Amino acid sequence: MSHLASRRSLLLGSLASALPACDARSSNGAGRAAFWYSYGGKNREVLERLLARFHADPRRPRIDATFQGDYFESLAKVRTAIAVGAAPAMTHVVSEVVPYLAEAGALEPLDGYEGAADLDLVPEIAQSGTYEGGARRPLLAIPFNRSVPIMYVNGTMLERAGVAIPRDWGELRAAANALTVRRGAEVAVWGFECPVSWLFWVALVASAGGRVVDEGGTVTLGGDAGARALDLWQTLTHRDRVMRPPLGRDYNAWQVGTQDFLSGRAAILWSSTAFLRYIEENARFPVKVAPLARDHRHAIPAGGTFFVLLRAAEEREKRAAWQFLRWMTEREQTMEWATSTGYLPVTRAAITELARNGFYDAHANDKVVLGELGSVEPWPWSPTLFRVQREIMDPLLEDAVLQGTNAAEALAKGRREALLP
Amino acid sequence: MKPARRHEPYLLLAPTLTLLTLFFLVPFLVAARESLFSWDLLTPRTYIGLSNYRTLWERGELGRAFRNTLAYSAVVVSGALLLGLALALLLDRKGQLAAFVRSAVFSAYVVSWVAVALLFMWLLDGEVGIVTRLAVAVGLPKKNWLGDADVALYTLAVVSIWKIAGYAMIVFLAGLQDIPPVLYEAAALDGAGPVLRFRSVTWPALRPSAAFVATTSLILSFQAFDVVRIMTQGGPAHATELFVYAIYEQIFLNLRVGRASALTLVFGVLVLSLTALQLRLLRGREAT
Repeated sequence: MSHLASRRSLLLGSLASALPACDARSSNGAGRAAFWYSYGGKNREVLERLLARFHADPRRPRIDATFQGDYFESLAKVRTAIAVGAAPAMTHVVSEVVPYLAEAGALEPLDGYEGAADLDLVPEIAQSGTYEGGARRPLLAIPFNRSVPIMYVNGTMLERAGVAIPRDWGELRAAANALTVRRGAEVAVWGFECPVSWLFWVALVASAGGRVVDEGGTVTLGGDAGARALDLWQTLTHRDRVMRPPLGRDYNAWQVGTQDFLSGRAAILWSSTAFLRYIEENARFPVKVAPLARDHRHAIPAGGTFFVLLRAAEEREKRAAWQFLRWMTEREQTMEWATSTGYLPVTRAAITELARNGFYDAHANDKVVLGELGSVEPWPWSPTLFRVQREIMDPLLEDAVLQGTNAAEALAKGRREALLP
Repeated sequence: MKPARRHEPYLLLAPTLTLLTLFFLVPFLVAARESLFSWDLLTPRTYIGLSNYRTLWERGELGRAFRNTLAYSAVVVSGALLLGLALALLLDRKGQLAAFVRSAVFSAYVVSWVAVALLFMWLLDGEVGIVTRLAVAVGLPKKNWLGDADVALYTLAVVSIWKIAGYAMIVFLAGLQDIPPVLYEAAALDGAGPVLRFRSVTWPALRPSAAFVATTSLILSFQAFDVVRIMTQGGPAHATELFVYAIYEQIFLNLRVGRASALTLVFGVLVLSLTALQLRLLRGREAT
C-alpha cells in the first residue's frame, strides 16, 4: 500500500513538474505544430538532430515530429486525418502525390507566407521545375529531401572484372554479364540489381524517349519506349540472368537492394541518391557513383519528397510549421541535410557554398549527383499519376519482370486499367 | 420453458446484440454502401454502382485473394492439426525434458508475429539463410523461399504453422489428459496395438479438441496480415496477397475506399458461409 502511495505521489509530482514546462512552451507565443514524417535510419537521425537544434532556441515554435511509416502509409494517415478534422500542419509527400493532393484542395497555398518568394530554391527540384507548368501554379510544395535515381558501382569488382562503368543500355548488359559470378547453376554475385519500381522504369522510359502521361493528360505508359524499358529488365533478368530483382515490394525492395550491394551480392545497383551517405559509410569497398545507363538520351525523373502544409490544419499551427520549414531551407540546414544524407541541396545558396568550401572536390560522388540536376525531366501535373504508379505500374512491373510476361501486352492492359473509375 | 417475464430474454441478449450491431452489423452495412462508390476520403464520393466489384473481378484481384486465402488456410489448418497432434502425442509424458520441450514449442505462440516474421526472413534468405544452406547441403536445389511466386505462399503457411502449432499441441494435450487410462488398459487387454488404440480410443476422444483447433486455426489463418506485411508485402507477383492484406492495400496504399469495402464485403460473406457450413457440420454430427 505504501508502495502504491509513494508511486502515486511520484507520478503526480512528475506531472506537476511537467505541466509548467508545457505551459511555458505554449505561452511563449511561438505556438506548436505537428509534423508527420517518413524518414527512417540515417535520415531520421539527421532530422532529429536538426529538430533538436531548432528547438534549442526557446523563441521558436515547438514542432511535434512523429514517424508515420513509409511514404504511402503516411499518406494514408494524412488523408484519414484530414477526413476526420485532425490534420497535422505539415508533412512531406512524394512528387507524384502533390498534384493529387493539390487538385483535391488539401494543400495550403504558400505564396502569402512571409519570405515564400525569397526561398532561392533550385528550380529543377522545386515545384517550378518538377512539374510541367509548375511555375504557373500557386506555390504548394517546398522541396526538402529531393533525390535522383543513380547508379552505384562496386569499385573493387569493377576493377577485378576489367570493365568500365556502363554508359548505355548495351554497355550495361555487357558489364552486368562480365560482373556476374556463377558457381555451377547458382549465381554468387549478380552483375546488376535494381528495384522493380516505378521510379526506375520512368527513368528508363524517359531515356528511351517516352512519356508516361502525354501532354493531354492521357496515360500512355510510354508507348513503345515503355515496352522497350520493360523489355530491358526482362532481358537482364531472364535471358541474361544477370539481374536480381530485390525481394519485397516498394521501399522494402530498395532496402534489400542496398543490403545486397553492401554485402557484395550485387556489383551494380540502381537506387536513389538518398542512400548515398549510408552506402558510402557502410561499404567495405570503394563506391563509385554514375548516371544511370542511357538509351537514346540521358533523362531522369527527380524522386524524393516535398514539404507541404495541410489546408485543414489550424492557422496558428500552419504559421508555426512555416517557421520550421523556412528554417530548414536556410543555407546551413540545407547543407547539413544534403551532406549528411545524399539528398540534393535544395537552395542555390547551399550549392554555391558547398562548391566554394571544397565539398564537391572532396566528395566526387556528390559531384556526380549534383551534375544530374541538368538531366531532370519534369513530371506531368496529373492527379492520376500516383494511382498509375501504385495501382497499375508497380504491380504490372513486378508481374512482367518476375513472370516474364509480354511487355507490350502488359502495358496495353495497364493503359486499359488506367481508364477504370 | 417459458420465461417469467416476456422481455427478460431480450434484456439478457441486449449487451451482446448491442456489441454485435455496433462492431459488426453497422460497419458491414457501411462497407456495403461504400462499395457502391468511388471515394478516396478527400474528394467527393461518386456513385458507380457495382463497378468496384467488376473492376476487382476483371483485374483478377478478387479471384486471386480468394484462391490465395483458401490455399493458405487449408495448409495452415491441416498443418497445425497434424503437427499439433503429433507433438502432443510425442510430449504427453512426464519428465523435465518433456516439460521443457512443451514450453519451448508453446513459446512460439506467444512471441509477436513481427519477431517471428523477421526471424524467418533471416532463416529463409534465398542466398545465406540457414534453411537454404541446409537444403543445399542435403542435395536439394537452392530455393528463393520468399521470392519465388510458386512457393512463397506455402512458405508463409509453414511459418504460420510453426507459430501456432504450440497452441494446437496444448489443446490436444488437454484432450489427451482427459482420456481415462482405463480405456487404454481395456483396449490393450483386448489385444489392440498402438495404431488400433489410437484409432479406437485416442482419436474419437480428441475429436472435440480437433474441431476446436481447426476452428481457431481457420480464424487465425483468415486474419493473417502481419506475416504478409512484413515478409512479402503480398508479392512476389501477388502470390501472397491474402484477403486481409488486399483490403489493407486497397485502402491504405491505393486510397480506394470503395474497392476495399467491396473486398471486405466479399470476405465477410466468405467467412459467414464457412462458419455456417462448419456449424451445420458440427450440429449434424451432434445429432447423430
